[in-house]
Amino acid sequence: MTTGIELRNLRKLFEGHGHASWAVDGVDMTIGAGKFVTLLGPSGCGKTTTLRMIAGLEMPTSGQIFRDGQDITDQPVTDRDMRMVFQDFALFPNMTIEDNVAFGLRVKSKKGKYTEPQIQQRVAEFLDLVHLKDHAHKKPHQLSGGQKQRVSLARALVTDPKVVLFDEPLGSLDANLRKIMQLELIRLHRELGKTFIYVTHDQDEAMAMSDAIAVMSQGKVMQFGTPREIYDRPANRYVASFIGHAHIVDATVDSKQADSLSVRLRNGDRVGLRGKADAAPGSAVGLMLRAEDLAFADAATDTIGGRVVDSLYRGEYVEYVVALNGNSGVVHVHARTDLPPVAHGSAVALKVNPAKAHVVVH
Amino acid sequence: MTAMTTIERPVELKGTSIRSARAIERRRLLLWLVPPLAWFTVFMLIPYATLLYTSLGHVDDMRFIPGLSLDNFVRVFTVDPYLSVILKSARIGLMTAVFSSIVAYPLAFYLAFHVRTQRLKFLIYLLVIVPWWASYLVKAYAWKTILGSGGILNVGMQNLGLVHEPVRLFLYNEFSVDMTLTYIFTPFAVLSIYAQLERVPTSLIEAARNLGADGWMIFRRIILPISVPGVVAGAIITFSLAFGDFVAPVLVGGPDSVMISNVVINLLGVAFDWPMAAAIGLVIITLGLLLISASGWLEEKTQTRF
Repeated sequence: MTTGIELRNLRKLFEGHGHASWAVDGVDMTIGAGKFVTLLGPSGCGKTTTLRMIAGLEMPTSGQIFRDGQDITDQPVTDRDMRMVFQDFALFPNMTIEDNVAFGLRVKSKKGKYTEPQIQQRVAEFLDLVHLKDHAHKKPHQLSGGQKQRVSLARALVTDPKVVLFDEPLGSLDANLRKIMQLELIRLHRELGKTFIYVTHDQDEAMAMSDAIAVMSQGKVMQFGTPREIYDRPANRYVASFIGHAHIVDATVDSKQADSLSVRLRNGDRVGLRGKADAAPGSAVGLMLRAEDLAFADAATDTIGGRVVDSLYRGEYVEYVVALNGNSGVVHVHARTDLPPVAHGSAVALKVNPAKAHVVVH
Repeated sequence: MTAMTTIERPVELKGTSIRSARAIERRRLLLWLVPPLAWFTVFMLIPYATLLYTSLGHVDDMRFIPGLSLDNFVRVFTVDPYLSVILKSARIGLMTAVFSSIVAYPLAFYLAFHVRTQRLKFLIYLLVIVPWWASYLVKAYAWKTILGSGGILNVGMQNLGLVHEPVRLFLYNEFSVDMTLTYIFTPFAVLSIYAQLERVPTSLIEAARNLGADGWMIFRRIILPISVPGVVAGAIITFSLAFGDFVAPVLVGGPDSVMISNVVINLLGVAFDWPMAAAIGLVIITLGLLLISASGWLEEKTQTRF
């Protein structure tokens, strides 16, 4: 028996105005109990629909959802004991903050579980947890966006669910507040030890908070792994370009050893890299090159040649846009700001960090 | 010193030109205010002033004698049946408001939360409004055929064996006036309540279900409190329309179901007591203003801020 949430071949068909499409198209995933798992992808990739199916707000067209080994596919939303934090907060506007948080403790199924003084005490405790105890008697419209989201969080956590679902909860907050809330969520996850399933289109957010990320596209999971796996070893071109904006250059496998391989670019330059690839010598692959893994080099050996076409001062570093020789592609290079600037049009040699370069087959 | 004056002069000139520009602006603004002021004067100020002027005079030998007497206002509150008729009209208005709200709420609720496609929503919306294409009189007459001795209600009850002879209680009394007015004015309540229910975001209901709330709790704790201002607004509209009605009491009301508008019509057309009619009119207008202010306050008070 697995603990946690398991999705088996989950599919959802959306029909509208004469055409139908698979919003979620065969998702298989196991989310371990107590983990922080993020569904990441652009809008329309099916991440929110997947989350809503887990919550029970949407019925799957086919497939199954298990929780601790038990099939909950047909269990009504009211019985699932998973709490959702909505993007628009979904606070009850006619109730005080206190009553909003207490709502989940006063429902019929919880009747008799808590006495009214216990409810009040628990609500106070959780408002304190999200630093809002001074706002208990206010109405939602009197709070700022960040405060509203914290109420929504307290309302979800106060009923002590094992699973908390987040539907782009920080989407409507400004950048600074988002960073603060990210830290807050990490803290709460660590302190409470609940399973967090989080939906976002923001890869930085996903990378910073998650134990595991499922990168989704067109209703399918493209890769499911730790942030490090997804960043360093993307399974395919889609994941590589979606995460960290890697540049992918067409290449051919030149030679292959047990734990290293060498690829050749279209212009003949050769790049050696560590690690394994599921590609035979001679097959076409994509060489993933990230800006921070490239550096200008003096030596012409073991480097790839190109020409600087643009540069952008980013404060932390200078970002150079380099067109590789022989029309082989364009890469970005980050250089320290204290180095002398490289003029547009000058020929440069780039050294690739062999430990970080990566090839993608699909 | 000459240097000083040459500096001062252009500054002064500049100042005056600014001042004159403002004056032109102000004059232009006044020009813009003329149409609304004229509208207000012609359609509001003059009629109300005329009404007040009329109400302060009296009629002697079919001739209007101007005056400055409050006698007519005193008569509204002391001479039978003016006050009792006003109170009865208010009662009918209130019953209409209550019945309309009760009938309208479920439909508005269904329209707001259960109709999924825009096409069906539009169709139902249309069905709510469509009776307004028919003449008011026709609709009032229709209720005669429903409530009358040979009406569908009585025939139906006889056929079912519930009664042996037609029940006369349905028609020509206050109840039939309430029914007819409720039927005629309910669409206003539907639209008003629907507009308020439409404001409830789906995510609120989803959040409540997610927290384990059943349908009844969602309705009682979330939807009903948010919809109160819509119910109040609808009730005010139906009350006002029913209060001032004069057709329903004539067609389906009994001999004693005279409403205040019928009294005013009689004063104007039969008794030629225009000053008395004007006084009643002003009393009703004042009551109406009070009612609207109170309901505005109530709506504001109960309005949920999102």
